[in-house]
Amino acid sequence: MSQPLLQVKDLHTYFNVEGQRAWACAGVSFDVLPGEFLGIVGESGSGKSVTALSIMRLIPDPPGRIDSGEVVFDGRDLLQLPLNEMRRVRGRDIAMIFQEPMTSLNPVLNIGRQVMEAVVLHENLSQEESRNRVIEVLEQVGIPDADKRLKDYPHQFSGGMRQRVMIAMALICKPRLLIADEPTTALDVTIQAQILELMADLQNQREDSATILITHDLAVVAESCDRVIVMYGGRIQEVASTRDLYQQPLHPYTKGLMGSIPQEDSKGKPLFAIRGNVPAILDFPPGCRFCSRCEQVEDRCRSEEPPLVDLGGGRAVRCHLVEKLPSNAEAEEAAP
Amino acid sequence: MAAYFARRFLLLIPTFIGITFLVFSITQFVPGGPIDQMILNMQASATEGGVGGSGSSVEIPPESLAALKEHFNLDKPFFVAYGHWLWDLVQLDLGKSYKYNTPVIEVITSRFPISIYFGLLGFFLAYLICIPLGVLKAVRHGSRLDIASSMIVFAGYSIPGWALGGVLLVLLGGGSFLDWVPLGGFRSEGWENFSIWQKITDQLHHTILPVMAYMVGSFATLTILMKNSLMENLGQDYVRTAFAKGLSERAVIFGHALRNSLIPICTGLGHAIGLIMAGSYLIEKVFNIQGIGYLGYTSIVDRDYAVVMGILVINTLLVLIGNILSDVLYVLVDPRIRFS
Repeated sequence: MSQPLLQVKDLHTYFNVEGQRAWACAGVSFDVLPGEFLGIVGESGSGKSVTALSIMRLIPDPPGRIDSGEVVFDGRDLLQLPLNEMRRVRGRDIAMIFQEPMTSLNPVLNIGRQVMEAVVLHENLSQEESRNRVIEVLEQVGIPDADKRLKDYPHQFSGGMRQRVMIAMALICKPRLLIADEPTTALDVTIQAQILELMADLQNQREDSATILITHDLAVVAESCDRVIVMYGGRIQEVASTRDLYQQPLHPYTKGLMGSIPQEDSKGKPLFAIRGNVPAILDFPPGCRFCSRCEQVEDRCRSEEPPLVDLGGGRAVRCHLVEKLPSNAEAEEAAP
Repeated sequence: MAAYFARRFLLLIPTFIGITFLVFSITQFVPGGPIDQMILNMQASATEGGVGGSGSSVEIPPESLAALKEHFNLDKPFFVAYGHWLWDLVQLDLGKSYKYNTPVIEVITSRFPISIYFGLLGFFLAYLICIPLGVLKAVRHGSRLDIASSMIVFAGYSIPGWALGGVLLVLLGGGSFLDWVPLGGFRSEGWENFSIWQKITDQLHHTILPVMAYMVGSFATLTILMKNSLMENLGQDYVRTAFAKGLSERAVIFGHALRNSLIPICTGLGHAIGLIMAGSYLIEKVFNIQGIGYLGYTSIVDRDYAVVMGILVINTLLVLIGNILSDVLYVLVDPRIRFS
């Protein structure tokens, strides 16, 4: 197996809420392999965006702060880098796409300038070369007549086109890791599919690089990701390949998420929903964070948080019921 | 968009007529018109001069009175008089000052440079100080500098300019405490014969306090507007995008956030034109500066309606054109805005 491109180790990030520390990201560890398309799934408030922003060190401070952990990229812990070196990583080695393509672009600057900014900053290119690179990357993401649209402003583009501009902006320096935080949430379903297809295409073109796709939508994961991390309450609850996760979700939370996707045979029946709501960040129960909403909750779930158990074969799950889960016996035997 | 601005310019005409008609009517109905004022003055001078008996004995022949009334269009219904005034205005004739007996335009233009000098200076200084200060306060939000400057700014906001002027004159004007600046006036007497250096220092001496008084009000509004606008923009998603590209904080603030946060301030520039020219009666009075504000006040007291109307015409036009200018600035700074 190849060396991971990015290693996140025991990442802890908190926000100051009402004078208390709210742990939005509590001990998150995972690797990203070169060439991988990794999905991070969870409801709002599960800590997935905070994890991504922590990798980029873009947590607004105050009120947030990365407390401890490591983010190893290229053999260096990004969390320990001086700010000026971190700035060279941002946009050049690791780039990020955000959810709202309208508000994530500066309304008063034309898109040519906004896309060009990162190249001018990170690479020694002439004005002419930079311009050509911008046109090239805009065409790559599927913007027609790119050379004529450099002087256009964000409001002159549709939502889908704006997200393409965002992708172009992120990809212009050919980063090795692309983090996409809910890139399709604000878009129509048809446009969503186009954008996902584009991201998958681009991922395939860049063999050694990787993409982290953050979403709350399991359907989006199914379409594009190789591997999925399910998060809840600031913790990783389950890790699996996309195929395994769909064939056999192990964590009750994952099952709940799966159950809430409309299926062909569920027509006419009420759609399943996980009971309750995600608790406010300070109100998570002690013990398993999901216990207040779990259908299979037991007494010890309420007092003792289960560890993330590695089941081997790239699968891991954080649940006390793991040994009881059906057809798990073999997986557990396989694990060292 | 050209059509939009053409319409805006055409709309100037009815607005202008509305405003001037209203004020003209008021001047016709308030007691004590220009002729009464003249009679009063004549009586006063007659008494002072001691020429024959008491002031009340001064008689003006009725036929002269009628002639005078006719001369000032006071014998006609007010709307006819307004028509006459408007017709003269169209021919760029603002009439003659009753008091100075010179054309209104001369009376006003002699005062204009003084008001413009103080107005423009205060205006530019306010922007030069407030915008950087607002930016600094936004970037260092919550710091000691931010809190201390907020206290000063709000203290300034609650003091009227003329009151501050009075206090500063008492402190620095050479009366009871320090003797740093002259008590008032635009320049010292004999200024024309000074050397260049003396001219400049003398002018500055006469300028500092009035300009501070002019600025103190707009200072708070402008600084806080700049600070809040920038803070709001620093919280926007596109700022995070800019950071994610690897830009430095400086580049993000000046290259991205500042431009957006200047939009509300730029558009205020248009409205400011009217204020610059109008002067401020109270401040001019405190510092004994013969500007437009002072002229406007004395003209009303003296019932010198030709001058009152003349000042009104100029101020109205400036404010109306300033409003259109604001719209133009909107279009220039914000690509999203296109009037149609």
